[in-house]
Amino acid sequence: MLSPERLALPDYEYLAQRHVLTYMEDAVCQLLENKEDISQYGVARFFTEYFNSVCQGTHILFREFSFIQATPHNRASFLRAFWKCFRTVGKNGDLLTMREYHCLLQLLCPDFPLELTQKAARIVLMDDAMDCLMSFSDFLFAFQIQFYYSEFLESVAAIYQDLLAGKNPNTVIVPTSSSGQHRQRPPLGEASMLEGVEASQFSQCLENLCDRHKYSCPPPALVKEVLSNVQRLTFYGFLVALSKHHGINQALGALPDKGDLMHDPAMDEELERLLAQVPGLVNSATANPEAGCLPSRTPPRVGSPWRPLHHARKVDAESDGSTEETDESET
Amino acid sequence: MIPGKYRSVSGRAANNVEFKLNKETPSFSGRLLQHDLERNYSSRQGDGRVISPSPRNKSSCISSTTNVTELCGLEMKTAMSSLSAFGDSSIQTPSKSRIRQGCHSAGPNVSGDHITLASSSMPSFPILQRSSEEKILYSDRLTLERQKLTVCPIIDGEEHLRLLNFQHNFITRIQNISNLQRLIFLDLYDNQIEEISGLSTLRSLRVLLLGKNRIKKISNLENLKSLDVLDLHGNQITKIENVGHLCDLRVLNLARNLLSHVDNLSGLDSLTELNLRHNQITFVRDVDNLPCLQRLFLSFNNISTFESVCCLADSSSLSDITFDGNPIAQESWYKHTILQNMTQLRQLDMKRVTEEERRMASVAAKKEEEKKRESHKQSLLKEKKRLTINNVARKWDLQQHRISSIAPNQDRKVSDCPQDPSQLRGSTVSAFPEETGSLDSGLTSALQGLSVTDTHLVEVDGDTLSLYGSGALESLDRNWSVQTAGMVTTVSFTFIEFDEIVQVLPKLKIKFPNSLHLKFKETNLVMLQQFNALAQLRRVDQLTVDPQGNPVVNFTLWKYYVLFRLSHFSMQKINGTEVTQNDMIMAERLFGILAHVASSELPQYRLISILGDARKKQFRYLLETKGKKPGLVNEENSDSKRLVGENTNRATLNYTTRDFYNERLEEIKEKKKFCKMYMEDLVKEATEINMKNEALQKLWPQMFIELVRDAVIEIRNKNSYMKLCLQQITDQK
Repeated sequence: MLSPERLALPDYEYLAQRHVLTYMEDAVCQLLENKEDISQYGVARFFTEYFNSVCQGTHILFREFSFIQATPHNRASFLRAFWKCFRTVGKNGDLLTMREYHCLLQLLCPDFPLELTQKAARIVLMDDAMDCLMSFSDFLFAFQIQFYYSEFLESVAAIYQDLLAGKNPNTVIVPTSSSGQHRQRPPLGEASMLEGVEASQFSQCLENLCDRHKYSCPPPALVKEVLSNVQRLTFYGFLVALSKHHGINQALGALPDKGDLMHDPAMDEELERLLAQVPGLVNSATANPEAGCLPSRTPPRVGSPWRPLHHARKVDAESDGSTEETDESET
Repeated sequence: MIPGKYRSVSGRAANNVEFKLNKETPSFSGRLLQHDLERNYSSRQGDGRVISPSPRNKSSCISSTTNVTELCGLEMKTAMSSLSAFGDSSIQTPSKSRIRQGCHSAGPNVSGDHITLASSSMPSFPILQRSSEEKILYSDRLTLERQKLTVCPIIDGEEHLRLLNFQHNFITRIQNISNLQRLIFLDLYDNQIEEISGLSTLRSLRVLLLGKNRIKKISNLENLKSLDVLDLHGNQITKIENVGHLCDLRVLNLARNLLSHVDNLSGLDSLTELNLRHNQITFVRDVDNLPCLQRLFLSFNNISTFESVCCLADSSSLSDITFDGNPIAQESWYKHTILQNMTQLRQLDMKRVTEEERRMASVAAKKEEEKKRESHKQSLLKEKKRLTINNVARKWDLQQHRISSIAPNQDRKVSDCPQDPSQLRGSTVSAFPEETGSLDSGLTSALQGLSVTDTHLVEVDGDTLSLYGSGALESLDRNWSVQTAGMVTTVSFTFIEFDEIVQVLPKLKIKFPNSLHLKFKETNLVMLQQFNALAQLRRVDQLTVDPQGNPVVNFTLWKYYVLFRLSHFSMQKINGTEVTQNDMIMAERLFGILAHVASSELPQYRLISILGDARKKQFRYLLETKGKKPGLVNEENSDSKRLVGENTNRATLNYTTRDFYNERLEEIKEKKKFCKMYMEDLVKEATEINMKNEALQKLWPQMFIELVRDAVIEIRNKNSYMKLCLQQITDQK
């Protein structure tokens, strides 16, 4: 709270920039909404709880989308909540469609827009294969980039299009809301080697963008690093690289590393406890607790001990298709 | 005596006619038998029958027979027996002539017993001549049976011939007999004739026998106005035609032809017997235009419905009919339908119709009629139902595709006096009392209030309540009888938005407390969270979600989510598949953490508000129904408590319908707006105060110094200051 920036800005703007106002407004709003219940146990108690939950990141559970995307902290909290709740789905090795992932998102946020899920899926899948199955980790990391840096990516898309068209992007006024027409993925073909834009030029533009961008964007150094590895790249190639970048994930801080994605001992313990309560359950459920801790780097390929319970053959058959899909989008 | 095969015919003939066998008869009948054996037909019963006199027309029969006999100069009994048999066997006369044909190669005059056949001047036709004694003995008849004739011989000097027999030859064409103008009886049975011809001069011909030939068409009979018997059995005739002028024809035999139907019979005013066995007849028409028809043989045809022969019912003269060997005769209703519709019948399929049978037939027919009416009713209902469902489906499709033709029926009112659903043969069918006008009133009253409306359908069939179309949900408001409501264990929803169903679930829970099985088809189930709504029910054992119109079923996780969310019901079957323990474990594995997070990590105030929402909803509904059924309310209370207690960690996962949710979002937006303004003011005020405070803090040290300085200056001159003070004090007084 007592950062030097504080002195540089008027108080009000400082609070707004730091999203303190958002939370204060929301707190009052919540108070208003549940005033009967809250009046029973005290307003002070309510505020304590509210700000505690904001700190813990549990405040976004089952909230409306407009609130969830309101602040970077909310977004990160939502990502973490999603990971936490549905890690088990990924661990089970199930490959799901975009719509099914969307349904899972909607379990946490009833009005989560389909468009966002679609965009995330488009990072993983080709345009004409939107009905394909995705692994949990592929989707999650793509979704993280798309959701967290949503506005930034819009701008990047615009810059990319301008570069493709040969315009000088430095003069371009970055649009922040207009999307859609930029979303066309360039057609793939033999020309795909020459497809895309020159990485260095793109990098420079992005640097500019990061400087003046008022929304959160990935650390410029890391973006540079991503772009320095290649000569040319396409927009989706860039997104895939972002989503797979270890450092960006770390910088974002919502999700564990890919290797530890299935690793959450506290929750696993909790789950074992819950499983023990399933009526009429035999002890077999607790037979291999270490299975839960087994980091499954590539869930579809590694034969997870969970799978025999679930239609194993189907998963096998589908996993091939999905990995292929993933590989393709990496190129 | 008489060959057994002809028992039915000749037997009767023996009854009716004084029948004295002469010495020739044994050989005659023997030959008949032999003759029969030579035939290819295996089952010929009745085929050969042309005249089978029945008591009713005894006189006419005899007279006509006598007529022929007289004219022919034959003994009456011979004619009788031959007539009665000639369909198959043709006439047999005792005199036998032999003809040797020498038409082609060497044509020497071959002498037979009595007849000489000589080559004529015309090179290809043999000329027949008889010896004079032969002529005297059988002056009016000539038999050329089995003579291997390929053409008709020229018969010279026999103009008085009345009877001519060409049986069993190879004649291909009728020729050379035009001079025999007194001919009454012509038998060409078993030849190779392909066309009827050469008969135009034989104006007095009464009996024409053309059985077992190759005739394809009935033709060239125009001048044979006095024809009495026409036998065309065993030919290739496909159509009855050119017979309308034969007003004296009594017997027509068309057995074993290729007829596909019976028609064109008008004009045959004297026809008493019509033989149509062994054809391919599918329908019979025009028979009611035959005023004298008594016997009709339709055995071994292709008649399958009574409708195709219904004209028979209009014939008042018909007394004897056969249908055996037709598909119709296999039907259970065959006999009584025929008897009921043709009361004039005396014989059916060769058996005498008894009074008892007639009585039975009428009873059976009545039953049949009733059944028919009932089934008609049922099918009408079924059809109505089908139409309604189609209509609902169409509406649903429109709605799904957002073609904005929102049903104008929204404002339709449900009448205020709902009828109690009626019991009808185990199935209770019911719907709304309105729009019954569309059904005919008799039916409506019979089914007591079943009506099918355009936009929805409600049906109770046994233990299943089926609802089609969103309007059907209103039926849950009705007062269902306790019995019906108790019986219903399966509720099926079709063509209804799931969101609409959600709103009536509390009602469903109260009105149909025993419902265990829910079926959803075309209900737009698209999200897993929609299943949350089902958690508020009392009990669900089985859930069936049809993939049609419910995309959620395509998800691999949906089943597990259902099991997880509705675990407190311990469901038995999902989409017909038994739920195993592994399924339960899997469900918990997949979603257990979600429930845990939802319950343990949610801030207290949110938990209360979310749970409170559900509880509040319940309370609101309970308040509405309070007073009506206090008992139920109590039950409900305990029920909801149990529900909340059982799975608090899951209760946070609930579903609000889209409309409701959007409404809430609007509300939140409003509140947010207010809060934003309020906070803005508050923060502004606070920052202002803060700023002032800060400014004050900055100024304060200087101010203090200034204040102190002023004070010091004031009291520097002690005397004047004292004076001043004293002055002030005195002034105050």
